[in-house]
Amino acid sequence: MLRDMLSFWIIGTASLCVGLLLNQFRDKPLSLVYQTKVERLQLAVTKIGTIQAARQIPEALPVSLSLDEFRSFAEQKRGLVLDARPELFHRLGHVPGAISLPREAFESGYAKLKAQLESDRSQPLVVYCSGISCEDSIMVQQALVKLGYTHVSIFRGGWDEWTDAGLPVEKAP
Amino acid sequence: MRKIHSSVWLLAIFRISLGLVFLFAGIIKSQDIQSFADSMATFQVLPNVLINLLALSLPPFEVIIGGMLLVGWQTRAAALSIVFLLAVFIIVFCQALIRGLNIDCGCFGSEVPSLWKTWGALGRDLLLLVIAVWVYLQLNFSKALEEPC
Repeated sequence: MLRDMLSFWIIGTASLCVGLLLNQFRDKPLSLVYQTKVERLQLAVTKIGTIQAARQIPEALPVSLSLDEFRSFAEQKRGLVLDARPELFHRLGHVPGAISLPREAFESGYAKLKAQLESDRSQPLVVYCSGISCEDSIMVQQALVKLGYTHVSIFRGGWDEWTDAGLPVEKAP
Repeated sequence: MRKIHSSVWLLAIFRISLGLVFLFAGIIKSQDIQSFADSMATFQVLPNVLINLLALSLPPFEVIIGGMLLVGWQTRAAALSIVFLLAVFIIVFCQALIRGLNIDCGCFGSEVPSLWKTWGALGRDLLLLVIAVWVYLQLNFSKALEEPC
């Protein structure tokens, strides 16, 4: 038993060393101290730019669209629809015309859309993610407001509500 | 004699099954360490300074002990490690359920936090714990039989 417990500690220590070593070879190494999703997004926003970084995130709840409102917005192309889910999910299927801006890779996603987004910071934007239990759309909405975008709404029902209603979907090429 | 023979087969099946489960869990977790760290944060047990260190070391730990069980090397140490690990998971799930936290287990990749999935994960880990304890005791029993009186 004592020998087995000693082995347990040796395996544990070896695992920590292996984990730390492998982390150095990752595209995005994990920081040693955990940062929450919100902290990581705020860091990305700070890195992207500070044109209007002094703007405060509004305390009030963000403008939320119902399925019918969102559907008419997307179909009539009244603005940009942004998909805050991970890029893999976006590739597997998304709302027709939606552009990927993942919460988890906000900095690189924003860099790809920079010209399109920054051409008009007052253009209507609607952000969605997986569904009602997902917070990515709210976080991305708040990040965009912080970057100076004035008309950013969210569709809380997200992908789940859209597909449950049997509405058309689009897949990335 | 037949009883001992069937118990040897059962031990081999459980040992390999446990090994595969932990090997698979470790590989899945290591694919997206950040999501695993986010899952661990939902438990609200560890301080931020420990979450990432544990998120980095747990997947290799699971791969190593899973591999050890699978190939049959140092199986008692591996089985005991699994018993410890499962006991910790069960305690963590129980505290989350008692506190009414909506957690994402993160056991086999990141999922949407759900109370029902937490109950499911607790049930699965209790079953695995029973198997792991049995495997560990059987391995000890086998070793005792091999040693001269």
